[in-house]
Amino acid sequence: MTKVEDFAGEPVERRALPDSGGFSAFSWLLVAIPLAAVFLLLDRYWIAAAILATAAVWAVRGRESKNRNYAPLAVFTVAGGVLVFFIVLPILNLLFTTDPSRIASTARDPAVQAALSITLSAALIATLISLLFGVPLGYVLAREKFAGKALVEGIVDMPVVIPHTIAGIALLFIFGRGGILGAPLNAHFNILLSDTYWGIVLAMLFVGLPFIVNHCRDGFLKVDPRIEYVARSLGATYLQAFFRVTIPLTWRALLSGAIMTWARAISEFGSVAIIAYYPKTINTLLFEWYNFFGYTYTKPLSALLLLIALAIFISLRAVATLRRAEH
Amino acid sequence: MIKLEKISRVWPEFAIRDITLEVSAGQYLVIVGPTGAGKTLLLELLLGIHQPDTGRVFIGERDVTALPPEKRGVGMVYQDYLLFPHLDVARNLAFGLRYRERGGEPSGKRVDEIAELLGIRHLLHRYPHTLSGGEKQRVAIGRALVPEPNVLLLDEPLSALDRGTASRLRSELKTLHAAGKLTILHVTHDLSEARQMGGPIALIKEGRLDAIGAAEDLLRRPPTVFAANFFGAVNLYKADVERTSGGVRIAAGPIVAESTQAEGTLFLMIHPDEVVLLPGSPADRINHLCGEVIALTDEGHYVAVQLRVDGLPAPLTAYVSRHSVRSHMLELGGVVTADVERAIHILRE
Repeated sequence: MTKVEDFAGEPVERRALPDSGGFSAFSWLLVAIPLAAVFLLLDRYWIAAAILATAAVWAVRGRESKNRNYAPLAVFTVAGGVLVFFIVLPILNLLFTTDPSRIASTARDPAVQAALSITLSAALIATLISLLFGVPLGYVLAREKFAGKALVEGIVDMPVVIPHTIAGIALLFIFGRGGILGAPLNAHFNILLSDTYWGIVLAMLFVGLPFIVNHCRDGFLKVDPRIEYVARSLGATYLQAFFRVTIPLTWRALLSGAIMTWARAISEFGSVAIIAYYPKTINTLLFEWYNFFGYTYTKPLSALLLLIALAIFISLRAVATLRRAEH
Repeated sequence: MIKLEKISRVWPEFAIRDITLEVSAGQYLVIVGPTGAGKTLLLELLLGIHQPDTGRVFIGERDVTALPPEKRGVGMVYQDYLLFPHLDVARNLAFGLRYRERGGEPSGKRVDEIAELLGIRHLLHRYPHTLSGGEKQRVAIGRALVPEPNVLLLDEPLSALDRGTASRLRSELKTLHAAGKLTILHVTHDLSEARQMGGPIALIKEGRLDAIGAAEDLLRRPPTVFAANFFGAVNLYKADVERTSGGVRIAAGPIVAESTQAEGTLFLMIHPDEVVLLPGSPADRINHLCGEVIALTDEGHYVAVQLRVDGLPAPLTAYVSRHSVRSHMLELGGVVTADVERAIHILRE
């Protein structure tokens, strides 16, 4: 960055250049200090020291942003640092203070394994169903203008804002044993959703749908409809253009939407517990252990679930990074 | 042959109204008009992306009004290329072959042929994001040509390119058109590009066809004021229309013309390069105007002389040679006679 002096001889920055992304006061206040504080509280002094040392090395190498005056931003940045600290502390505390051997033995518990496989598979099925219905809806929302579109978009977002226990109760009135659809399904097809595996899928689907629809819509919005027109002019039908051009250009958005939906489905407890307390999902099991044995007993299981959630989260970020790298 | 028959389509924010247009097979028609006139929408109506509310579209002898784009045999090239970014150049070119394979001709041959024609053989294994603008547009044109369309639609194909590349590609388009029997519709907002293509020009204004004809005709004898302005006319005057026993007398100040037509509002246009300047005050002759020189502008190959003429609402411009300026001793404030008799053109609003 070029040093320039204003009329009073004070050094000023030439103009608001796109930030170099180098090490700056932000790096200290939002990254190094909150993370070091977390590790200090967790008695992991050497990790805290390593973070601070790395930060110091980067600070020395990142000379280019030294001319900037960070004082006005200090209040905002400190507030941000508190937020980072607040999120990271409980998560890392759970991971670092749980005995790994107890996590491993919990993972071998048959009840845990059963609940886990029900949860992961039901969430996967809910995700696949949501793709089946969410991709077409997302495409229509991205491509078409029509009266009532805003209403549809609002409706799609409703499962996010409705308390999930209430969603469970509402679904029960429809799909429960005596529900509007549940009763005929039970009478004519012998299909029962309350307290069954498919009830779990149903609840997960309900809470996960907004994610897939919105991700798909946003992904499709980034594809210029005229590239589909070109494909049509070359002889592709509507569906061929969709599958040969639109999908290859959006599959990462669809995949990250699917992972979000899957993660949301896995973490769902409220509506699942109301529609189908049995068979027990992993969250139901955790809730039960917490009620009967207290919170220390649930710690290894919580840590195990946290690891699974983090794995999903990291894969999601990896997909997102891949997407950015390609553009 | 392409025929649009009374095509209308109304959108909430825009409308194409009552466009009738015929393009004979093998013609190169340039469609011009200001931005937002509906040129692209017109192409997309032909392509079949939009359906007209009323009217019919014919391609060849076929009524294609109800046909989807993939059944029309129409190639489309947009200004911003819109190559398929996930496919390399070879597969971009071959995209249309999957759907229009003809008589077992090996697809590689057709792709090679087109790549050769457009000079993009060396790019076949590259991906679109590695190409320059001119290369991308060549690939886009090639991609449209590979399935052998009957009609090629070009939507501002040269607007995104730098001048050198645009002019090279422009002459290549002309060569391409001359070589084949392809009918081409080329949309542009750039008047000089339209004229350089050499074919007829259609002028679109607010979703309507305003004028159509050879470039030279539209320039010399624009039928409407809008066309005259779009093609850069000077000296336009609203006329008073008066019926006489012999016909219709049209007058703008001291300028008088005869016409057989008297409907609507008429304008007089005076071609600045047909005005004859004579020294001194005029004798009392028809369309010999007395003008005071108020500006002399050297335009390089000619001099633009602006005259104030009593009775005309705006100055009259005449283009004269440097020789005339010297021999008539034209100078600011001087008085000359402008003979406009052979320079008058009558047009509609």
